[in-house]
Amino acid sequence: MLEVSNISTFYGQIQVLWDICFKISDGEILALIGANGAGKTTLLNTISGVLRPNSGTITFLGQRIDGLAPHAIVELGISHIPEGRKLFSDMSVQENLEMGAYIDRAWKHRRETLEKVFEFFPRLKERAGQLARTLSGGEQQMLAMGRGLMSRPKLCIIDEPSNGLAPKLVQEVFQIIKSLREQGITILLIEQNVRQTLEVADRACVLENGRMALEGCCEDLLKSDHVRKAYLGL
Amino acid sequence: MERFLDVAIAGLLLGGLYALIAMGMSLQYGVARVFNIAHGEFIMLGAMTTWTLYTVFNISPLVAVVICGPLAFVLGFIIHRTMFRKLQSLSANQGVFESNSMLASFGLMFVIQNIAFLAWGPEIRTYNYLMETVSIGGALFGARRLVTLGFAIAIGVIFYIFLARTRIGKAIRAAGQDPSTAGLMGVNINWVLALCFGLGAAMAGIAGVLISMSYPDSANMGQEYLTVAIIVVVLGGLGSIPGSFIGGFLLGIIGSIVSFYEPGLNMAAYYAIFVILLLVRPRGIMGR
Repeated sequence: MLEVSNISTFYGQIQVLWDICFKISDGEILALIGANGAGKTTLLNTISGVLRPNSGTITFLGQRIDGLAPHAIVELGISHIPEGRKLFSDMSVQENLEMGAYIDRAWKHRRETLEKVFEFFPRLKERAGQLARTLSGGEQQMLAMGRGLMSRPKLCIIDEPSNGLAPKLVQEVFQIIKSLREQGITILLIEQNVRQTLEVADRACVLENGRMALEGCCEDLLKSDHVRKAYLGL
Repeated sequence: MERFLDVAIAGLLLGGLYALIAMGMSLQYGVARVFNIAHGEFIMLGAMTTWTLYTVFNISPLVAVVICGPLAFVLGFIIHRTMFRKLQSLSANQGVFESNSMLASFGLMFVIQNIAFLAWGPEIRTYNYLMETVSIGGALFGARRLVTLGFAIAIGVIFYIFLARTRIGKAIRAAGQDPSTAGLMGVNINWVLALCFGLGAAMAGIAGVLISMSYPDSANMGQEYLTVAIIVVVLGGLGSIPGSFIGGFLLGIIGSIVSFYEPGLNMAAYYAIFVILLLVRPRGIMGR
């Protein structure tokens, strides 16, 4: 579905990503793990068009997308749920969701999609008229995810969804990610909770200092000495 | 009591114009992040074009509204797509862009002003239109002033509904809060920024048409209105469109009270309010 080949990205003069290559196939959950500053968010921003790679190619469903603007990439079916939720805090819950359906393809079906999202996140329905900034942290994350689904994506890129949430809510977030996959959405996930992430995901890539250090199916990575030492504290 | 009513209505009439001018500027700064020093020149272009249309082509100023508004929009849209878009891609961050774009708009102000001097010369231009008077509560007001107020309120209300209810209106609000995330939602952000700059210019152009119906016009009239716009925008809260709307009426009423006692002190009173505001409540009425 998505193929990233030899991507290098710079912030100004500083190179952050070096020759990144990976693939995501239809219907899988791919996890991206790595320490803070390893370049995970930069990689996601490069895929969704917020940043442009200096070299390399990104192909989505057979089409080159590197160099396209973010709005064109959403249109093709990639939804990026950014780190830190990034809600429109002075707009209502419902308006935030409607913004998620901004692209033409999704706007036509926004009412049905909204119903589906409300089924998925009943709390959002109760709070539809409230301003986004009045929600609790957990509700804000639900809203961020709901908004990401409103564009009817084929691939969902989710950046640190459990960040800052209580353990019980973290469980809920992982449950939601699993059920998204059951709905046929392919997922690229970044998470700090490495153990839980490796349990949910099919495959994982380990990013270290802007380079791809390891890649494999999660069972193998859970057995790898390097992963156990560096990311699981075992 | 009757005098009180006079002053209050005169204040509303003046305030409607101020609100319109300030809303345009607020939109340009609040979303497109351009503190547009050339805003007064779009007002001047609207006023002088209306004068030409009326005195040369005998086209009514009410028709001029639907000519000058769209023309100013196109001009603003193109200026944003070329100059400000280029500046944005050359600026390292938003802060740098805000100062660069303000300096560039200073230059734009001189360019437009000089072209206007070439086109219309330095003379002060006036024309007579809708000179009938209307009596409200015993006081007489020029019909043209009431038309002006009607337009200002109508544009304010329509624009508010546009922002609150429509898809593009919501995209504008989202882009004002977080342009990068609005882009992730599928909003073509460069297009929306140019749209906002164009809409701001259109409001200035229409304000110019309305101003020319009641006040004398000249190629260097822009500065005075720019000053008023800046004061109202700060009064209302930088970038807040409802704040600018309310602030415009507030300043109009204050202006009307001051001119009732001493007509020459208008601008001095505005500056005094501006300075006091910066000291006491720098974020303005609706600012955060």
